[in-house]
Parts: sequence; C-alpha cells; structure tokens
Amino acid sequence: MADISQLGFSFVVEERKEVSGKDLGLLQEKLLQLNWGVQHPASGPMRLKVWIDGDEVVKIDPDIGYVFRLLEKLVEYRSWINAIVNVERICFMDDFGTMTGYSITAEKIAGIEIPKKANYIRTILCEGGRIVSHLLGLGSFVGIMGVNTPMQWALIAREKFLDSFEIYSGQRIATSSIVPGGVRYEPTKKFIDKMLEAINYLEKEFIPRYEEVFIDNPTLKMRSKGVGVIPKEKAIKIGLAGPALRASGIASDIRKDYPYAAYGELDFNVVTKKDGDSYARYCVLFEELKESVKIIRQAIDGLPEGEYKVRFPIKIPPGEAYVNVEWARGCFGFHLVSDGGTGPYRLKMRAPSFANLWAMPEMIKGVKLADVPVIFASLYMCHGDIDR
Amino acid sequence: MLEDIKERIQEEFGFKTEPYDTNILLVHGEKEKIKDFLKFLKHSGFNYPHTISVVDYTPKGEGFQINYIIENIEEKKFVIVRVNLLEDELFIPSVCDVFPALQPHEREAWEMFGIEFVGNPRLEVMLLPEWAKGTFPLRKSYDFEKHRKEKK
Repeated sequence: MADISQLGFSFVVEERKEVSGKDLGLLQEKLLQLNWGVQHPASGPMRLKVWIDGDEVVKIDPDIGYVFRLLEKLVEYRSWINAIVNVERICFMDDFGTMTGYSITAEKIAGIEIPKKANYIRTILCEGGRIVSHLLGLGSFVGIMGVNTPMQWALIAREKFLDSFEIYSGQRIATSSIVPGGVRYEPTKKFIDKMLEAINYLEKEFIPRYEEVFIDNPTLKMRSKGVGVIPKEKAIKIGLAGPALRASGIASDIRKDYPYAAYGELDFNVVTKKDGDSYARYCVLFEELKESVKIIRQAIDGLPEGEYKVRFPIKIPPGEAYVNVEWARGCFGFHLVSDGGTGPYRLKMRAPSFANLWAMPEMIKGVKLADVPVIFASLYMCHGDIDR
Repeated sequence: MLEDIKERIQEEFGFKTEPYDTNILLVHGEKEKIKDFLKFLKHSGFNYPHTISVVDYTPKGEGFQINYIIENIEEKKFVIVRVNLLEDELFIPSVCDVFPALQPHEREAWEMFGIEFVGNPRLEVMLLPEWAKGTFPLRKSYDFEKHRKEKK
C-alpha cells in the first residue's frame, strides 16, 4: 500500500478517529467536511464529501449509488431484443448510442450483417442523441455558475430534436428504436423533414447566437480558464474518457478509430483542444455540435434505399464480443457473453462517466472550493451511467 | 503491432494468446504473474485501461473469469487479459498501483462478485446500500426473492 500513496493517487480512505474536547475544536479549525448534494443541478443525484482547509479543497470523495438499478443483472432475464429497454435506460439523454452499441455486439456474436440503410438511420439517430445530450451539458455548465438563460436556449433547441424522435418512434425519450438486426421503424419523409428542421434551427439560430454570448464570454473565461487543468499524460493515467480526454489533446474518438454504423463512410473531424482545462472541455462540447450537424446532413443525403432491418434469431450461438461505441459522454464498452440461450448470459458495460467520476478526486486536489462545481460540470457526467 | 506483442508475450511470459476480434488480442494470463504482466503491457504502450469485466461461470462449473480490458490509445489496439479463478479461491493481486484508474473497477467487481483484490486500499461498498453488502448481486446464485431488505 505504501507504494500507491507514493504515486500521489488518493483513494480516500476515511479516517474514523474519535475526537473530543479540545481536539474537536482543533480539528474543526483545520479541516472541515462539507456535504455537497445529494441533489444536484449539473447531473443526477449524487453526494460529494468535500474536506476543506480554509477554502482550499484537501480531498474529495464521491458517494454514489442513488440511481442504482442493477441493469447488468436485469438484462440477464430478458431476450436478445427485449434487453434494449434496459440498455437504453442507462441515460435518458442519449439512449441511441447505448442501444446501437448493444445491437452491434449482439449482431457480432450472431454473425448477422445488417442492411446499409439501418446503419445510416442509426447514425442519424445517434448524432441526434449526441446533440440533445451535449445541449444539456452546455446549458448545465453555465447553469452551475448561476446563469440559467443558456439552459433555456438549449431546451428550446432540444425540443425540436425530441419532436423528430417522436415522429420516428412515438416517444420523445426512451424510444427503444434500435434493435439487434437493424432499426424498428422505416424513416418517413416527415421524420427526415423534422430532423432537417431541427438541425437547421440549431445551425442557423442556436449556434451563432450561443457562440456570440456564451462561448466568447469574458466572465465565463475568467471563471473556467485554467481551472482543473489536466495535461495529456495525466489524462491517460487517471483514465478520463470522451470529451474530457479530447480536451486534453488526445484524439480518441471511437467513431474515427474503430468505425461502426455508417461513420466510416462519412466525413467529420475529431474535435481536440490543447489546454485541458474546464473551458476547453466546454468548447469541445460546443464544437462537437457542429460536427454532429455535418454528419446528420451527410447521412440524410446518402440515405440508401432498401430494407431497414433483418430478422434476428431467437437463439444465437455461444460466443462473446467486446464492442465500443462513441456515446455522447465518451467511449462506451459492451462486453456481451452468450451461452447459446435466448438472452444475454452476461453484459458488462464500461461507462465513461464512471471513469470520469473516479478521475475527479485527482483533479480537484488543491483547488478552491468555488471551483469544485465548475470542474464537476465540465466533466459532463450522467448518473444513470455511473450507477447503471 | 498486435503480432509483435503476441510474440513478446510468448517469449517473456509463455501465455497463450488467440485473436479475439479485429484490433483485439486475447491473452490467457495467470493469477500469480498478473501484476508483472500488466506492468509489461503498460510499458509496451497499452496504457489506457477500460475496465475489469467479471463473468460468473459457476453454473457451468468453471468458476469466475476476470477480463482486464486495456487499450493502446496511440495505436488503437486492444488487449484482453483473461484470468480464471476457482470458486473457492476468489482472490487475485490488485493492479491498482500499475493502473490507478482500475481501482474503482476492482472495487465494483469486489462488491458485485465478491472477488478479493489483495492490495486494493479501498474495498468498500460503493453502489449498493449498506444492508446489501455481501449479497453479490451479479453472481448467478443471486436471488431477488431471497436477498431482500429485512423488515423491521
């Protein structure tokens, strides 16, 4: 254990030392434990135990498990197709990414090729989900500093995407629309039109206005530049994922590195920043919106004709696969095992927010108390996906 | 890239390898050498650990299987290191001093499966409520009916 502490990583083992009388006063003068949460505006319900010395944070310990649903176990009681209702409930904001990942994994074990059209529709839906999720991420980052306008703007833009999902699947969130074997519904012209309307609004109205007011904003820069800086090597070492990793200058994007769905055929850039601070993480989210719009336009233009799903068998042969998808919050891994039955034998989900959450104690060491919410919101975590 | 590392694993550790998927190599590791092996992988460029995935094969009589999933983030390649544990010997050396990022993943595996990671400084309940400690919900023997919160 001694060598771990030499590495400088704090695994926060709480000291349960009894203090009384005069010592109590001394302890309180020195270190104070604050509870931050359980409710929280920038993500779901969680609690942070923060130890402070004056207004400097000494250590921090997340207390999670408030939205724990044991999804990995529930999946074992379902059939291959039914399991998507558990998989999509990892996070309500971007449910398409997780359904796509699960479906690809199941198709890989079953050895099934899906039609090209299904891949294109999956791409459109996944990027729609990413935009919806990133909008909330942007809104809550500024929201946590006390400005609520961007959240309202983001919700207006998000509403248009939810309308298009509703036309496609009948549901605004939790759509259950991507299944092993393809997608569930034919994309109608009405859906495509609504999606185009939504991305037109995003591109013409939301992005320029938001950029002018809330990206190039001197107060916001003062508040978030140089806060929670993570250099390249350290980002890998503490295991950051997704936009947070890209903000530290590492071009890790599963869509580019291991193309799935239709991403291999479309043209887009991986957004990276060099600074690695909270502002860089915020800007990565914003610029990924533009890339997503680009991808949706290309996918709609190139949408092929033909079938949109193939039949997925009730039983698939024994086997296993590990597949990663680039979900809104980073790379989401699915390790799926089949024993030849009618449903998954075991599904392990590697959640990016879980990785980011446990990298946070390393990032928050030695910062000021007022910077804790900024760093927390910039990591862009979701509680459904931390707890599963 | 994966071919090179495959040969070096064969030379230095004598572990069996097999192709798992495009870009993924599966290594059958041993419990005793796991720490040295992950250190070797880290120095060979596999520096970004994804997770620890445990599979419970006890109904099939094969004990537990631990998969360390590690990525080389520069070259975009994966290695999955697989270790089999017998049902009555559920402990393995912790690797959290090699990959500190795996520490919470070990903690989760301990909580859900009851596998002891020897040397992990923090094997405490994380996701489960305190009363459910020791029920190991992701084991195949877990029973939703039996493992309920006791009524007062």
